[in-house]
Amino acid sequence: MHIEDGILSPLACGAWYGVTAAFVVPGIYEIKRRIRENLLYKPFLAMVGVAVFVISAMHFPVPVTGSCSHPCGTALAAIIVGPFATVVISTIVLFFQAVFLGHGGITTIGANTVSMGIAGGISGYLLWKILRAVKCPLWLAAGFAGLVGDLVTYMVTAFELAISLHGNVPLEKQWIIFFMGYAPTQVPLAIAEAVFTSAVLMAMLHRRPDLLSNILQEKGV
Amino acid sequence: MSTQVNVSSSVVEDSRFFDGFTRMMLAVLFFLLLVVFASGKYMSAHKMKGVGTDDNVNNLASVAARTEHHPFIELPGDAELGAFSVANFFCGLIVGYHWLKLFGTKPQNSTKKTADN
Repeated sequence: MHIEDGILSPLACGAWYGVTAAFVVPGIYEIKRRIRENLLYKPFLAMVGVAVFVISAMHFPVPVTGSCSHPCGTALAAIIVGPFATVVISTIVLFFQAVFLGHGGITTIGANTVSMGIAGGISGYLLWKILRAVKCPLWLAAGFAGLVGDLVTYMVTAFELAISLHGNVPLEKQWIIFFMGYAPTQVPLAIAEAVFTSAVLMAMLHRRPDLLSNILQEKGV
Repeated sequence: MSTQVNVSSSVVEDSRFFDGFTRMMLAVLFFLLLVVFASGKYMSAHKMKGVGTDDNVNNLASVAARTEHHPFIELPGDAELGAFSVANFFCGLIVGYHWLKLFGTKPQNSTKKTADN
């Protein structure tokens, strides 16, 4: 989902930066509020931010398609530190990946944040909330959040490319073309991300349930 | 006169070279490396290039946009591997540091009074 510099027009880059800013501002407020509520939120945020950096740069080969791709980790981050805080984390992560790893681009940080941080994180978080509301087990809800968060990230990236570049081709057709460039490799990785999200969340809950009180409140503990 | 001496069972347990956590992490590491290695061998045997899907789709988009895509900074050869290794090494340290702070085993009966004659 790392769109590189030189593909999107300056207008599109500016528009995606605008959308990102609209989510980063409440994200900063969410972080400030949660730091006041819980002193341990800061190290939590640092740990999750760095984990998202590593996870979203970790390329795995998928032999079925003969190409490599990476998970995102933003659905897990959204469950743990909150959906808007995840947008802030993603923006910082994508900046460092663009500057130091040649991964993504500076002009496309807005577009990449919209796909990974906003769409991926918030879709995973919303699904998590819905599944928990219908008493779905924690591990299953986390797994589905990871799966959907990953796939939505790539669907939105394909949409960002299609809306800018479809020209005379119908938008839906161009969207499908770009998404099919990702999907065959990404589906197995999304399943792996579901397992990873579920396992990490359950490990955290097992070790320190007091740190994830918001999750356990839903569980009724 | 008495003094407080830290005698933490968890500290003693954590000082073991090959504890449960290390074993678990090594098992996960070897499993993932095995998956990567086996996938790589399969792809190599079937003459698959193994390029990133991001790059594939960026190339596709470049054709549609009739422009050239380029990363902000292009690292030559193994410099890219070096950048990833440095970044991931320090990220590992930071994650480990905070993981220990947040999820490390809580000390049980961490203080024990002993007589100091």
